Amino acid sequence: MLDARALARFRRNRSAVAGAVVVAALVLFALVIPLLSRHGPLTSNFPDGVGPDLMPVGPCAEFPLGVDRIFRDVLSRLAVAGRLSLVIATSATLIATAIGTVVGVVAGYYEGSGLKVPWPALAGLVGAILAALLGWMWVAVSVLLAGVATSAVRHFSGPRLNVDGVLMRVVDVLLAFPFLLLVMAIGASLDHTSSVTIFVTLGVTGWLGIARVLRAKTLQVRTLDYVVASRALGQSTPRVLLRHVLPNIAGPLVVSATVLVAQMIVADAVLSFLGVGIAPPTPTWGRMLFEGQSSIQVAPWLVAAPATILVMAVWGFNMIGEGLRDALDPRGL
Amino acid sequence: MRSIRAAYDALAAALGLSAILLLVLPAGCSRALSDPIPPVHDDEAAPRRGGTLRLASISDLRGLDPAGAVDGLSLGPVHLIFAGLVDYDEHARIVPELADHWSVEDGGRTYRFVLRTGVTMHDGTELTADDVKRSIERALHPSTPSQFASYFTGLVGYGAYANGEAEHLEGVVAEGRYDVRFRLQRPDATFPYLLALHAMRPTCKSAGYRYSDTWLPCGAGPFKLERGGWQPGTSLRLVRHPGYFRPGLPYLDAVEWTFNMQEPAQRMHFERGELDLVRDWTDITAARFAADPRWQKYGAVEGDNAMYGETMNTRVPPFDNVEVRRAVAAAIDREHYRLTGPARMRVLTQALPGSVAVDPSYVGQRYDYAAALEHMRKAGYPYDPATGRGGWPDPIEYLLYDQGAVTLTAPLLQQDLARIGLRIRLKVVSFPTFLTLQQRAGAVAISLGSNLLDYPEPSAVFDGLFTTSSISPEGTQNTSFYSNPRFDELAAKAHLELDPERRRALYQEANAILCDEAPWAFTFGFHFYDVHQGYVRGFRPHPVWPLDVGSVWLDRTGDELERMLGGGLR
Repeated sequence: MLDARALARFRRNRSAVAGAVVVAALVLFALVIPLLSRHGPLTSNFPDGVGPDLMPVGPCAEFPLGVDRIFRDVLSRLAVAGRLSLVIATSATLIATAIGTVVGVVAGYYEGSGLKVPWPALAGLVGAILAALLGWMWVAVSVLLAGVATSAVRHFSGPRLNVDGVLMRVVDVLLAFPFLLLVMAIGASLDHTSSVTIFVTLGVTGWLGIARVLRAKTLQVRTLDYVVASRALGQSTPRVLLRHVLPNIAGPLVVSATVLVAQMIVADAVLSFLGVGIAPPTPTWGRMLFEGQSSIQVAPWLVAAPATILVMAVWGFNMIGEGLRDALDPRGL
Repeated sequence: MRSIRAAYDALAAALGLSAILLLVLPAGCSRALSDPIPPVHDDEAAPRRGGTLRLASISDLRGLDPAGAVDGLSLGPVHLIFAGLVDYDEHARIVPELADHWSVEDGGRTYRFVLRTGVTMHDGTELTADDVKRSIERALHPSTPSQFASYFTGLVGYGAYANGEAEHLEGVVAEGRYDVRFRLQRPDATFPYLLALHAMRPTCKSAGYRYSDTWLPCGAGPFKLERGGWQPGTSLRLVRHPGYFRPGLPYLDAVEWTFNMQEPAQRMHFERGELDLVRDWTDITAARFAADPRWQKYGAVEGDNAMYGETMNTRVPPFDNVEVRRAVAAAIDREHYRLTGPARMRVLTQALPGSVAVDPSYVGQRYDYAAALEHMRKAGYPYDPATGRGGWPDPIEYLLYDQGAVTLTAPLLQQDLARIGLRIRLKVVSFPTFLTLQQRAGAVAISLGSNLLDYPEPSAVFDGLFTTSSISPEGTQNTSFYSNPRFDELAAKAHLELDPERRRALYQEANAILCDEAPWAFTFGFHFYDVHQGYVRGFRPHPVWPLDVGSVWLDRTGDELERMLGGGLR
């Protein structure tokens, strides 16, 4: 995917290298600072964090980024928030990429020809949708798996469905929902939000763009001679997809996923900023922005610190994504 | 969609602003306060008439109907528009206002008020006893959503009137043109306080009888609503009532409010002399004004009328165990709470806020870590701080909403209670959800409790928050579901007791019971910190009402005054 020539092109792209350095520094910061810091992210520092005017102290030797409104060390909170934010963003991106890849490749590959769906699998799908609508998520997953497994162990007849049409209409419908509104609705419906619920929520709602991109790319790839040849030679569809299609759409896949990490970081920050992210006192960059905004005139470090690191993270991942796109661009080959 | 867009805008603005801050400000530096604009004349100068006082608020006005004015913002303009039979003086003592005098008859069962003569309402009519009776019936009418109605159940005939069985309230009798009698089923020492509520203040007959959020106010206060002067969501302009019954008052021509102005914008306009008086400071900004010698003489502390605490549901484990509640009350370091807003918060160690404390020096609850651990041991959940073992085995959910002081105090509570073996998990919900759940039986174990006094008397705290009769399955004000027969008895006796000293003794015993049994861990009292420009003269914060500017006058030079009279913010 990223051969020597592509890697060389990436290295020559100063913005991309700068982005990679920034992201690496952020990861290092998030990993190391909590180990080195003398102050816990959740602990108020009495009396050291209290200034002579009874206000939170600003940046100083003891607290390099000052303390927040309840006298917690901003540096340590920023680093722990960074861990969470990076874990949530990358995990959500993995989920979204996995779903988007399956949907995009299947839709693109079967465009125009349709897919014969065995009756048990179809029944499982319909049952799963009904169960999901009733809120029985475990039942939905079980029914779907049972239908697919039954179809896999022996041959069943079934109707030929326009899978591409169905999947893309689902994508259209979901795209019509404002992304954050959907995420907020799911987040608000949860009794208790944790990092897992946040990245799962972001992941299962964030795959739409990738699916569209990969469908378009698959439409191109499936007509290439070697793909047609392997189908003519009787290779199974999964083998064709895994051996010939996927490797040839890996470029746009990686680029989309990298840019998606940045989007997920922002989405996570917005959720926390709106109060539907991870419950306090766990620090997140969005939450720190929310908590600091009312004090911006008198304690600007409370907003400046999380805002700066958020900007750096988003910029870094976007620059990497841009660099990868340029490096993997076939026109550059 | 709009809220999401607003959130995106706010986030983007915060990001952009912080980037600018990083460029233009050294780390940790913050903008200094500007100099106050001084008055023109010396302290002995006589008040001058004229000018518009310009105020602002971070929120919008709920309404101007006194029957529904329960929040701090509505009370400001409503207090200027409506005068009452009685009001409070600068020491929070009941004094006649529209009443010339009153007497207590029939062993405390009848209150007779004789009105001032020649009081002109805003519509030009003269105030009569019929206006008083009609206004009170309007406020207590079953169709009026008044949260004060329950205070008046002691009026003769209230039940029949509230149920719609009687057309008029039998216990309010207009005798002649200026004489009003209130007949009670039993003596009630707190009744004069109830008559000072804005809901009870006379309204003009011409303004209409039915309650409405958009009802246009008309009363007998020093200011009246200018025609077209209320733009909901935007602004309010009150102008001098020329027929006000106190000669020479008010001094101001008008008072203006701009609504939905965030605190940074208020501060900017204030420092530029485009707002004259501000109270919506953040805690940090208020503390900076309070600490600045240039501004100290222009700062004013409003009445200490709000109390906060951690309300523990006495029917939900582990807080059904009084020793656990005592442990919580002893584990909270209230001084740490106060540091989150030192200019506006005061450590609270008893069940009564500062303005109504029977004995202000009484310390009923205080931080005592060793005692807290001992209470946990007595409760059957000993905790060893050295090993971190013991305590209540399960996490306890703490309900909060995402605004105001609770966002700061909740994590502090979490830290304090962790040190005695109570693991608190914060659950953030919207404010309406918070109220619904907190006021529902068995729904919440522990949450923030707050109370803003309706009137400056201990019964305003005790009756609603802690008596057994105030418990209901939904919508209760007794959010700790606390019930103690002795406490109920003391609260009831205090109502009947007309002797102030004996009443104080009853209240003090009731206060001690609450501090000991700890349905709440009382934590802090709250007051607003008002700051005005130097040219704003005659402003003294009222001990009960917010922003009482009825005796304020402006002392600026002519050209500045002219600019002010030109009105509006640039």
